[in-house]
Amino acid sequence: MIEVEHLSKVYGSTPAIQDITFFVEKGEILGFLGPNGAGKTTTMRILTGYLPATSGTAKIAGFDVHENSMEVRQRIGYLPETPPLYPDMTVEGFLTFVARIKGVAAGDRSQRVESAMKRCNILEKRKVLIRKLSKGFRQRVGIAQAIVHDPPAIVLDEPTVGLDPRQIIEVRNLIKSLAGEHTIILSTHILPEVSMTCNKVAIINRGRVVATNTPEQLMTALAGESGYELEVEGRFDQARLLQIPGVKAVDALADETLPENRSKLRLTLEAGHDPGREIAAMIVGSGLGLYELRRTRVSLEDVFLELTTEEKTINLAEADQAYERAQAAQREPSEPAEADNSTSQRSDPDPTAINPSPADADPEGDVR
Amino acid sequence: MNTIVANVIAIYRRELQSYFASPFAYIIAAVFWLLSGFFFTAILMGPEGLIAQANFRDQMGITTPPIDVAYQFLSYFLGILGSLSLFILPMLSMGLYAEERKRGTLELLATSPLTNWVVALGKLLGVLTFFLTMVLPLLIYQAIVLSAANPPASPTVMFLGHFGLILMAAAILSLGMFISSLTDSTILAAILTFALILLLWVVDLIANSLAGPIGEALKHLSLIKNYTTLTQGIFDSSSIIVFITYILLGLFLTAQSIEAFRFQRS
Repeated sequence: MIEVEHLSKVYGSTPAIQDITFFVEKGEILGFLGPNGAGKTTTMRILTGYLPATSGTAKIAGFDVHENSMEVRQRIGYLPETPPLYPDMTVEGFLTFVARIKGVAAGDRSQRVESAMKRCNILEKRKVLIRKLSKGFRQRVGIAQAIVHDPPAIVLDEPTVGLDPRQIIEVRNLIKSLAGEHTIILSTHILPEVSMTCNKVAIINRGRVVATNTPEQLMTALAGESGYELEVEGRFDQARLLQIPGVKAVDALADETLPENRSKLRLTLEAGHDPGREIAAMIVGSGLGLYELRRTRVSLEDVFLELTTEEKTINLAEADQAYERAQAAQREPSEPAEADNSTSQRSDPDPTAINPSPADADPEGDVR
Repeated sequence: MNTIVANVIAIYRRELQSYFASPFAYIIAAVFWLLSGFFFTAILMGPEGLIAQANFRDQMGITTPPIDVAYQFLSYFLGILGSLSLFILPMLSMGLYAEERKRGTLELLATSPLTNWVVALGKLLGVLTFFLTMVLPLLIYQAIVLSAANPPASPTVMFLGHFGLILMAAAILSLGMFISSLTDSTILAAILTFALILLLWVVDLIANSLAGPIGEALKHLSLIKNYTTLTQGIFDSSSIIVFITYILLGLFLTAQSIEAFRFQRS
């Protein structure tokens, strides 16, 4: 129903979105999740034909948004971030106007306006001037405006932003009730919203889609099953931790606030295992201090953070080295800091750190 | 074709509705009526007015050259209306697009199956209709006064003069609409529009100081010169063509500017 392929948009020389690709099947709700400034609004504006893309294609119901712009505009309902409302019109007058410019036939108009108002629960406000409506009602008029011509595709940009909790629930239920007959894309930076309303999620960060899947699969695929987080004192032996049945992986977590000599670990477990008892026994048995043993349940929030923030985990070899160095430089309270340094450099590889040996070796070879 | 007309009408109706729902528009209309009413009485019945002058001539027994009070009155009054429009029209056109941009409703229009031309045309017709309703009451009392003229006044002058007024208003509004599409500040749009039409109003003064073909060409651009031609009852097709050119130019530039706005916005 909605096909987006290799879509890019460049403003001047700054890329807003790069190579975005995703598909939405008929009747699905796709949640477009990302921090502010990630490129959600730009993507939506391209989909609705408001902005031209720099490269790539987007198709709605088989029509290219650029080449068949008018066809697409008839088949799409769009709620921008600020609902486009005329404050001096009544709710009904405004919706009738929208129905008219969206090309709803004169005979169906009043019936379409009526059903959109009913859907969005604004029938009681039909004669009220939009200027006098509360924020929640305005948002609903905005949604009514997007569905009044019964479009197969609906694009909602941050539909719940600025609403109170009760209104948020109402709007979410409304959106859910629209799925099935309509295909919906909604953008949000609120995580629970996606798991509550959407059956597909695309995570976008810095203009790129970093993952597309169902919320459930994304949770399992990316962060594995549940796990433990522990804080230990002293030198831990990763191999022994890994020997415990059910432990799949051990990661060291960087934490600047830790006192020296302590480290934070995350254990990922295999499904169906819960070796909490064995873990505690092993750590205490090997003479380490156990300061915290906490069960972690993976939420979409973690997935989101893991995908959109610079990586925080470091691998064990590096953690070991850092620990060794800290031990060697006795009494120098820099172990956690160093561990953290190695983390931040990992995402942004330092050429001087990797290149020195070949760079030094080559000139020497020439001289000889 | 049918949908184009239907869309123009949809935009037109919304535009018109917004004028009639706006207290600001009523204030502009009230000021316009007040001032034009004042000049109407002053020109006709004031101490220096036309009737007083005619009476004075009668008393003194002057009969040559003969004066046509009705004709004189019309050309004076239309001249005044033209000058008043200079101030009123930028205030009517300033919000046409600037408001849409500020409210974000331009995004609705731009994502609806409408072309920029349709939106611009609908808006221009809407604001022009509002101006027409402002001029209409004045027509009524002019008709009442002129019906008392002896010898009877020629209706051609009256109609041609008002036709010129409407045509010039359309030209100014069209250019004002273009300027409004450039900014989301209504005040800035009004000021810039006022400056532009002031320039076009007096361009023949500049043209007079320039010799040669450039001066000649500039003279034709003057709003006041072409308007005066029509208010004098002269049907000059070149004046009409100049106004129509302004109208089309305004529409064209508006459509282009909205397209460009969408292409560059960040």
